[in-house]
Amino acid sequence: MTPKAPIIDWAGLSPLVALLGGAVIVLLVGLLRPRFVREVIVPLLALATFATAAGLGIWQWGEQISLISGALRLDQLAIALMWIICATGAAAVLLSWRAVAPREAAHGEYYALLLTSAAGMLVLVAAQNLVTLFAGLELLSIPLYVLCATEMRRETSLESGLKYLIIGSVGSATFVYGLAFLYGATGSTDFAGIDRALNSSSLVSDPLLLTGIALSVVGLGFKASIAPFHQWTPDVYEGAPTPITAFMAVATKAAAFGAFLRLFDGALLNAQADWGPALAALAAITIVVGNVGALGQTSLKRLMAWSSVAQAGYLLAGVVVATKLGLQATVFYLAVYLFMNIAAFAVIIIRERQTPLGDDIAAFAGLGTTAPLPAAVMTVAMLSLAGIPATAGFIGKFYVIEAAIDGNYAWLGIVIVIGSMLSLAYYLRVVAAMWMLEAPEAPVSTVTGRPALAGGDLDAPAPGAGIEVYAVAAVFGVATLFFGIVPSPLFDLAVKVGSSLTSLF
Amino acid sequence: MNIGWYLAVSTLIFSIGAAGVLTRRNPLVILLCLELMLNAANVALIAFARMHGNGEGQIFAIVVMVVAACEVCIGLGVVVALYRRRLPIDVDELRELQG
Amino acid sequence: MTLHLSILLWLPAAAGLLGLFAGRAARWVTLAGALLALAFSIALIADFDTSAKGLQYVTDQTWIAQLGIHYKLGVDGLNLFLLVLTTLLFAASVLWSGLDRVERPGQFFFWLGLAETAVLGALLAQDLALFVVFFDLMLIPFFFLTGSWGGPGRVPAVLKLVIYTLVGSLLMLTAAIATAVLAPGQGTTFVLSELAHRTLGTGSQEWIFLCFAAAFLVKMPAFPLHGWMPDGYRAMPMPVLAVFSGVLSKVAAYGFLRIALPLFPQAAAHYQELLLLIALATILYGSVLAFTTTNTRLILGYSSMAQLGFITLGIFALRPEGAQGAVIQAVNHGLVVAPAFFICALLAARAGGSEDLRDMGGIAARAPVLAALFLIVALANLAMPGSSNFVGEFLILLGVFNAKIVISIVAFTGVVLASVYTLRLFIRSMHNRVGPNVVSRDITVSDGLVLVPLVAVILAFALYPQLALHKGEATITRSIQPAAQAAAQPQIAATP
Repeated sequence: MTPKAPIIDWAGLSPLVALLGGAVIVLLVGLLRPRFVREVIVPLLALATFATAAGLGIWQWGEQISLISGALRLDQLAIALMWIICATGAAAVLLSWRAVAPREAAHGEYYALLLTSAAGMLVLVAAQNLVTLFAGLELLSIPLYVLCATEMRRETSLESGLKYLIIGSVGSATFVYGLAFLYGATGSTDFAGIDRALNSSSLVSDPLLLTGIALSVVGLGFKASIAPFHQWTPDVYEGAPTPITAFMAVATKAAAFGAFLRLFDGALLNAQADWGPALAALAAITIVVGNVGALGQTSLKRLMAWSSVAQAGYLLAGVVVATKLGLQATVFYLAVYLFMNIAAFAVIIIRERQTPLGDDIAAFAGLGTTAPLPAAVMTVAMLSLAGIPATAGFIGKFYVIEAAIDGNYAWLGIVIVIGSMLSLAYYLRVVAAMWMLEAPEAPVSTVTGRPALAGGDLDAPAPGAGIEVYAVAAVFGVATLFFGIVPSPLFDLAVKVGSSLTSLF
Repeated sequence: MNIGWYLAVSTLIFSIGAAGVLTRRNPLVILLCLELMLNAANVALIAFARMHGNGEGQIFAIVVMVVAACEVCIGLGVVVALYRRRLPIDVDELRELQG
Repeated sequence: MTLHLSILLWLPAAAGLLGLFAGRAARWVTLAGALLALAFSIALIADFDTSAKGLQYVTDQTWIAQLGIHYKLGVDGLNLFLLVLTTLLFAASVLWSGLDRVERPGQFFFWLGLAETAVLGALLAQDLALFVVFFDLMLIPFFFLTGSWGGPGRVPAVLKLVIYTLVGSLLMLTAAIATAVLAPGQGTTFVLSELAHRTLGTGSQEWIFLCFAAAFLVKMPAFPLHGWMPDGYRAMPMPVLAVFSGVLSKVAAYGFLRIALPLFPQAAAHYQELLLLIALATILYGSVLAFTTTNTRLILGYSSMAQLGFITLGIFALRPEGAQGAVIQAVNHGLVVAPAFFICALLAARAGGSEDLRDMGGIAARAPVLAALFLIVALANLAMPGSSNFVGEFLILLGVFNAKIVISIVAFTGVVLASVYTLRLFIRSMHNRVGPNVVSRDITVSDGLVLVPLVAVILAFALYPQLALHKGEATITRSIQPAAQAAAQPQIAATP
């Protein structure tokens, strides 16, 4: 066997190169002394990097090519998910613009870590090989552990970083152990090879394969916060700096579900009889646990964390059915999830910076009268998360339920609506607080120093909610509404993505 | 030799690691146990590579080693940051975030 | 392809949206929108072609091609009069709240306009998914209207109301998707006329039908599912309550005729007796509670429940005369209940702000016009012979009599009870001993502006009920035909 140089398609690889190159440039520029460079140029460069990667994705749209000898694959699924990740990343950059976290962690490093994490997500959703799958997962996770802990003077931030690190690493270790068994059962780390092995032999009840599937479900379940592997989610979401929470909530989820789709609806499709019922049960448990957990929360970041657990359950339903419709529904729902979550987090950040109450629901009381526009955005986001018509969330849920029923999982469709019913109780509570409760006695418009909840050092001036946060809230809020009324563009995208996993029907 | 013995060893190591993560309270020991879990995977990977007679498992194992090193670096970094804040180095004491 | 119905549909919401930015003029902008919609719907009646079969003024655009969802609107005999009822009651409600001066008028009238659009959308939709969209959307404006402008205890009450009713609606969402996905045939479609040809298997029909029935029965509300009603009614602002009670419950009844019976005929026949028993229980429960409670809003609330029981009874007689009676009764009840709530508000204003019947009495003394108008409304409500309600109830009972005699006999007691509780309400508020804080005074001109046209419509309808009967007959008969056939052949319905 003579070694031959791998074929590298640089055009196809360009989005990844852009993200990693951007990370290096941002890191280096961040070393320059002038404050203007660090606080304006660096985030702008990070934004430009995300824009470049997304633009290169547009350029490569329609291609279905293997990169680096089949280690990665650039197709519509990878590009669509990359757009979601880049949009989240760009939003996170804007939301962090005047936040405490980049100031404490040094701007260059903060944004470089963000870009690296996004690059890891891209690797993950493009992976065609167990090795790249694992490498992508770690490349996305390790920078996130650091990012969670970037507000170094706030104990809860460090605590959330350590918790995320430990639990995330347990997840990774379990995942890699599962991948080892998959390799052992099939003799290949290549997805195509695994698929061939499963196709040709009667491996379906092989204990090695079953162990491998079970362990990798657990591992990915940790990343995607699927119950019962979700316990870290509320703690980490609450402790992390809010822009990072937003990034984690959307982008990590998109990447983890990209991996789910690649691994289960791609490589392990022929073993669907093995994992289908198990994943369906997990999806149902996740929906119920997430929605029940959110019921009593008063911290909005925790509430969003539990809600993200529940949403993971809805997304998993799209994976379980292993049909083209399911794939489309999952991607569609991820896009919708991006809009409504970022809109909600932007408003949470606005309130966090304006009141001393932090992300407590009390910070939102009477917001409808004092600041109708953020309140309107938050209302749209909450109604969309609850799946009310005329918002994108409704169409997303509609699509997922249709995929579930179409794939002979009608009971899962029922579980999804039962989950939505439960979720109404807490989403509507937020809406009710904004429009139906009185604003607190003395409305605190400006706060000096850091929010008391955030741990208290008064040396830094309080970050105001600048125009960029409002812009993010407005753009994503309008998108939530727009795609609820005119969903066709997103559907077109989802249908095109549907053609990228060719083995599905 | 039968692949089963290798798997038995790797499962044992993985279980020791997992049990350690679940029961120990010192983050440093937890990091060590995480290393054990990852290395259990390495043992399995290399055994499987030998069984199948291809090198993919070994490559995978090398990647896992790199990742393990990265994770420990970050872990130690966070632990040091916690120590500087004079926070208790005991995960059970870290209970500000709960509910 | 016409734009007519789209204009009618979006006009109120557009006016409301305009009002959001119009500041103090919001009410007039919204009122103009509501009145235009009313004029538009009256023009529809005048222009309606009675002899034509099927839908008229159809608008059919693809909304989401990938899912086979169409933006399809249409009018036929089934929804024609409900449309007019909706626009009429909303116009009255907007006028009423406009004269009342609410806080934050921009938002209030925006939600009211959006509510009207959502209700009209649910009535006009000829696509299952579109119907579900509007049916669910309908509730959101009422959530805000009640939660922000309601009475004491409004927030818990409105959360209860919305969650209760959306539970039903969400079940309906799954059921609707299942209807389209499980239907035989090429591709997925949600268009009702297409779905009517793709009959589902009996097994799927049954659970899907039950989901739809649950959604509709909660919204009505019917007997075991009415838990949200007392609190919700107490908390809602009166003008909003008038449309809520007058229109929203009718959309549920309409849903049975438009969707449940034509699409799931075997299941409807299968569950006919269950639904009849629920309807009967609703009639009796509503009547008895209307007779015992003293809060005037709740008297009207429970009497609405009883009336909706009658409407359900008529629908599930699965006979043409019953269904016709149900449609007429739906319009009648809407016409009666809205002025009744308005009178209720006037009574409360004369009884020192109390809505309790025990604090009222003797209000008629110096208010002859109010008393006369109230008497007309009350007589219509108890289905006095000569009123259009009499025609409706008569047709319903006739239909049930032909289908299930025993049930119709029990239902007759409901008719008797209706006169008892309505007369009790009238006598104890208007006559009897004068209440402690009662100040009798007649209605003002602006009150008359709202009340008199509504009462005039009741009278007009009483004189000429054939109008609705005639225009609706053909469509109504057709819509229940499959279910009626299925009911007539129980042995076929029973085979799986």
